[in-house]
Amino acid sequence: MTKMRTLLGVSAIAFTVSSPAWAETVTLAAYSGIFQDHYVKAVVEPFMKAHPDIKVEFYGMPNSAQMLGTLRAQKSAPQIDVVIMDVSVAKAGTDEGLFDKVDESVSPNVADLYPAAKAQGVNGVAVTFDNLVLLYNKDQVKTAPTSWNVLWDKQYAGKVAIPAVPDIQGTTLTIIANKMAGGDDYKKSVDAGIGKLGELAPNVQTWDPKPDVYAPIANGQAALGIGWNARAQVYADSSGGKLGVVLPQEGSGFQINTINLVKSAPNSKAAKTFIDYALKPETQAAFTEEMFYAPTNSKAKISQAALARTAAGSMDKMIDIDWIAVASVRDKITEQWRRRVIPLSR
Amino acid sequence: MSVAVSEPIAAIPRPALGRLGAATLLLLPIALVNVVGFILPVLNLLRMSFNEALSGGGIRETFTLANWFGLAGDAFYLELIINSVVVSLTITVLTLILSYPIALYLHRSSGRWRTFLTVLVISPLLTSAVVRTYGWIALLADQGPIVQAITSFGFAPPRLMFNTTGVVIGLVEILMPYMILSLLAGFGRLDPRVEEAAMTLGARPVRVFWRVVLPLTLPGIALGCLLCFVLAVSSFITPKLLGGGRVFLLATEIYDQAIVTLNWPLSATLSILVLVIFGAALAVYARILRAID
Repeated sequence: MTKMRTLLGVSAIAFTVSSPAWAETVTLAAYSGIFQDHYVKAVVEPFMKAHPDIKVEFYGMPNSAQMLGTLRAQKSAPQIDVVIMDVSVAKAGTDEGLFDKVDESVSPNVADLYPAAKAQGVNGVAVTFDNLVLLYNKDQVKTAPTSWNVLWDKQYAGKVAIPAVPDIQGTTLTIIANKMAGGDDYKKSVDAGIGKLGELAPNVQTWDPKPDVYAPIANGQAALGIGWNARAQVYADSSGGKLGVVLPQEGSGFQINTINLVKSAPNSKAAKTFIDYALKPETQAAFTEEMFYAPTNSKAKISQAALARTAAGSMDKMIDIDWIAVASVRDKITEQWRRRVIPLSR
Repeated sequence: MSVAVSEPIAAIPRPALGRLGAATLLLLPIALVNVVGFILPVLNLLRMSFNEALSGGGIRETFTLANWFGLAGDAFYLELIINSVVVSLTITVLTLILSYPIALYLHRSSGRWRTFLTVLVISPLLTSAVVRTYGWIALLADQGPIVQAITSFGFAPPRLMFNTTGVVIGLVEILMPYMILSLLAGFGRLDPRVEEAAMTLGARPVRVFWRVVLPLTLPGIALGCLLCFVLAVSSFITPKLLGGGRVFLLATEIYDQAIVTLNWPLSATLSILVLVIFGAALAVYARILRAID
């Protein structure tokens, strides 16, 4: 682990050193892959056009945990200025004193954010909202499903791909299943949901779809699955009509990405300028049009076409997931999955 | 120990003084590399295993045995350890059975043919294990050629991946080159003249194999099995890709705890446990070697 940390540290240093001499360089750590492609296009490049004296280096990493690991390793001498990561990981980072507070003194746009964008005990604020969706292969599932219940349909035995806990897609499904099975507060008990997922288990082909859940469904290896809306919408467009995306009638839950200011970052001032830009209504709208994450700024103006592909139109059906509270019951949920869900699929 | 012809070791005159110093000096670089690259990180891991994991991935620096007691008291982890060892042993035995005839044939071939075959055996190592594992996914998939061939004979379609079977198939193929090379390295004592001698004395081929060939190749078998077992326990990408989230092994659990759940103290504890298993495997190996001699 130390080796990996050192390696990450060294590569981070190497790439900061090799960047050309700009007035200021903001190093932004966020998800690699298609998030990086679209975020650079819709946010980073327009930002650099608007602020010619600031260069933004996008440091892509596969997941939030790896970002936290890198920040921990660099705690005494940070190389990263801004990081976009999942809210529950940002909570851990805040607890360890890795982040400065992002409030109205950093960006006046913070005042316009939705209440859900400001999580208790997290120093950063939400920059994107995403939600869990039902995925299906249009060749194998002829009529578009409208309910999560299709996952339980025996017709698709051995054809369902579910990213299991500890992945938070599995956690979100647990909370949805808990509501469907008539369970009440998920913070107290998800017993009902676990029981219902146990009935789903025999249908499952893989609990760990690779490289992600979208590819096997798009290419027909699996027929149904669950995934995040933004990525699913992008892959639906690029799969040539093979991948179908549905926000089921029972509703869904949100995933929140926060933008965080690294404590004693090398370019704090420019970093604040970038965070302010990222939270602006125009920037938020541009990224929603580009990748279908729902905006966190209530003043963002978005076209009907893009809005229809986010959960923004179905807010009344969404389950309010308190990710900070979920973090404290996550181990218990994982344990339940391992004892009462996954073994039923062998 | 009788077959190898021992030669008398000529006494090399050495200057009495500085002999120890020279040895220390020569050992110093590797010792330094090992301290920095292995011992310090392992000590760091050991320290981490005594920290407290907070919910949501935080770490509190402290000194607690909670992780260790937690492991010992949790049936899931006990099962995980047993499962890891059993799956790795299965993989090792299957790899040995499949590799032994190839290694024996290679050992007996000669000239260009031997060079060609050796290159053939090593060539899979030129491709990364990730690529080869994806290859297996294509072959073992429900619509893949192997399942289709089996169903065309009228059998029910078997599930060949996203379970332990898939992990075993993938790892056996990936580890075969290591096993074959270790076997070849250990076949030095196998002299064709000994086999010929056994046959001239009237032993049938099967008897020659059991009484002469197998005992003489035991050092190679022990080395290959040790290497394969260690690689199987620590391999992580193949079980991750072919296990379908159903096969819980130590290496994949360490990854999940470190990268997904962010419980570094627990993943450090499990990592130390893997080191202990390796230590045990080494002890068994040393014992077997002594027994052979």
